Amino acid sequence: MKRHWVLMLGLAAIVGAATVVVSPTQAQAPRLGRNIKVGIVDTYSGPPAIFSNDALNGFKLALEDINKAGVLGARIDFVTRDEKFSPEIGLSMARDLVLQEKVDLLVGTINSATALAISAFAREQKVPFIVWISKSEAITGARGHRYVFSAGENTAMAGRAIAEFVSRRPYQKWWIGAEDYEYGHAVTNSFWRFMKRVKPEVTLAGQTWWKTGEPDLVPYLTAIMSARPDAVFFGTGGAGMSNVLKTMRAIGFAERVPSVIHTAIDYTALKPLGPNAPEGVMGTTDYLFYYPETPDNQAFVRAFQAAYGGPPGFPAFHGYNTAYFIAGAFRKAGSLDPERFIDALEGLKIKTPVGEVEMRTCDHQAVLPIFAGVTKKSPQFDFLVASNIVTLRGPEVMPTCDDIRRVRGQ
Amino acid sequence: MDLVTVGSQLLVGLSRAMILFIVSAGLTFVLGVLRVPNVFHGSLYMIGAFSAFSIATSLGQHPAGMWVAFVTAPVVVALVGLAVERALLSRLYQREHLMLILFTFGIMLILNDITKLIWGADYRSILPPPILQGSAIVLGVPVPRYSLFLLAIGPLAAVGMWLFTHRTQIGKLARAAAVDREMVALLGINVDWVFAGAFVAGAYLAGLGGALVAPSTSITLGMDHTIIIEAFLIVTIGGLGNIWGALLGALLFGITQSLGLLVWPQFTIVFPYLAAVAVLLVRPRGLLRSVW
Repeated sequence: MKRHWVLMLGLAAIVGAATVVVSPTQAQAPRLGRNIKVGIVDTYSGPPAIFSNDALNGFKLALEDINKAGVLGARIDFVTRDEKFSPEIGLSMARDLVLQEKVDLLVGTINSATALAISAFAREQKVPFIVWISKSEAITGARGHRYVFSAGENTAMAGRAIAEFVSRRPYQKWWIGAEDYEYGHAVTNSFWRFMKRVKPEVTLAGQTWWKTGEPDLVPYLTAIMSARPDAVFFGTGGAGMSNVLKTMRAIGFAERVPSVIHTAIDYTALKPLGPNAPEGVMGTTDYLFYYPETPDNQAFVRAFQAAYGGPPGFPAFHGYNTAYFIAGAFRKAGSLDPERFIDALEGLKIKTPVGEVEMRTCDHQAVLPIFAGVTKKSPQFDFLVASNIVTLRGPEVMPTCDDIRRVRGQ
Repeated sequence: MDLVTVGSQLLVGLSRAMILFIVSAGLTFVLGVLRVPNVFHGSLYMIGAFSAFSIATSLGQHPAGMWVAFVTAPVVVALVGLAVERALLSRLYQREHLMLILFTFGIMLILNDITKLIWGADYRSILPPPILQGSAIVLGVPVPRYSLFLLAIGPLAAVGMWLFTHRTQIGKLARAAAVDREMVALLGINVDWVFAGAFVAGAYLAGLGGALVAPSTSITLGMDHTIIIEAFLIVTIGGLGNIWGALLGALLFGITQSLGLLVWPQFTIVFPYLAAVAVLLVRPRGLLRSVW
């Protein structure tokens, strides 16, 4: 009984002390009253986990800074769930996070199918959902709505950026070589749609599709080479991309046929092949850790490298920005109310490592620049980097708000 | 479409068939002798590829690194096979096939997770030995030197398997056990060890396939699923348990795929499967005599 009494006294002392410490901020700004809880659903097992962990690392790095100052007297906490690259699992994880864990908003995922499934659930539950890796243009395009946002580029932006980039070169007769899965089809369709728009005289000589995980691409690339197109667009990513690059190098493909692949100049694509990736492949990405060489970007890369032992890839950049979008929107909203959070996030501009980025109001898509370049060996790194980099500014590559209204049937 | 194009497609298709043959031969051998449909054969192939990666990279930039990996990685996999066979599989040979499929499927999941624990989820890449890098011009078309090397390895592997099954004691016993295991046991031979030997030989071939595919692809979790589906298909169209059937099946698979690319590149994926369906409609028990 006596011990119980001492304990109560101790507790009272702690609570009292905490009140004294916290009270100065209370007077100045509206307080959120409790911490912000972010629920992250992403693939943390299997090959896609490299990308998901990269995004999570960028997010954590930004949170360290954000939580030092606090967001209206609160901090941002997060919980993660492994969706195992399955939309069904992802959806039930999202349901659990919203209904059991009572998170304030959802964040995820690398899988476009999961992102679309969670997006529909978020709309039904009126919970904000920020997509940070998956690139399907449907997320903020045809199937976009009030509750879903995208902090990374998408296939529409990528397709248009590539079309703008290669239309400056004299290629007429194109061939398409792509991996038969959601992203492969999405990025390929988008590229060809914009290519026809930017340069109507181009022709499609043929297309070759292979299944995901196809181990030997030599027969495929040899057949494309025999068809002698002016240039080839490859619709692939991740481990499939590394296979294409490897095969290209083995048969000297890029020297014979100009080739372009979205994310071919990306660090996450080039790193696994080290110095043995093919040179001369044209590619695009929305983040390069060595370009632009601005103090902001260098500071971000230094901090990331110090924390995680390697440079950030594009997912880390998206994760980092997502944290600042969340903090910025809650500060602006001054409340934990999801509707006020969404109103605040619409049109919000944040400072990122590559300059100011806006969350566009009409489609909830982050207005990001796309960098285009050609792979080249580097004296500085033990992997290839992009050379002759061209920056395509966000507004140059985004679908217009009219386009968005049209695809949404409004 | 000229003859040169067809010829070069045939060549690269054949080189792809060689790895399919080596892996399928191991699967069909185990199927024939042990009557075990080994679902984790694909995992052994994946472990072979990851081991080859680790062995080659641990020897640094040494040009012989990959050659050492070709020789030692299959041995590592054979030892893994031996351990699994002695510890688990050997107790379950008498079970019915459905149980064995479920059981080997379970081992596949476990080996998958062990692979992830050891090598992580990252995908890896290694290069062929320096002498086999780059391409050679054959019929005016660049063909990777490594593909030409595989073309030479395939027949060597076939001859090696023939010598093993026809000229070694254990190989002969394994063939006999495949036909009539009671008879072999009645002759006073320890069938247990014959089975272990046959299983290790199958695992070795899976590992060899994995080591050989490693320099030409990205080494990643999930490569086991792709190969096991193709290998089972090849084994089925070739005739269950028949090594030469596996060779025929692999050739059919590789060639229909690479020539299909010239006919209808957009739908190449379906050609090998169409060929398999056609074969099974005409010869439901496979091209060659099944030992089942």
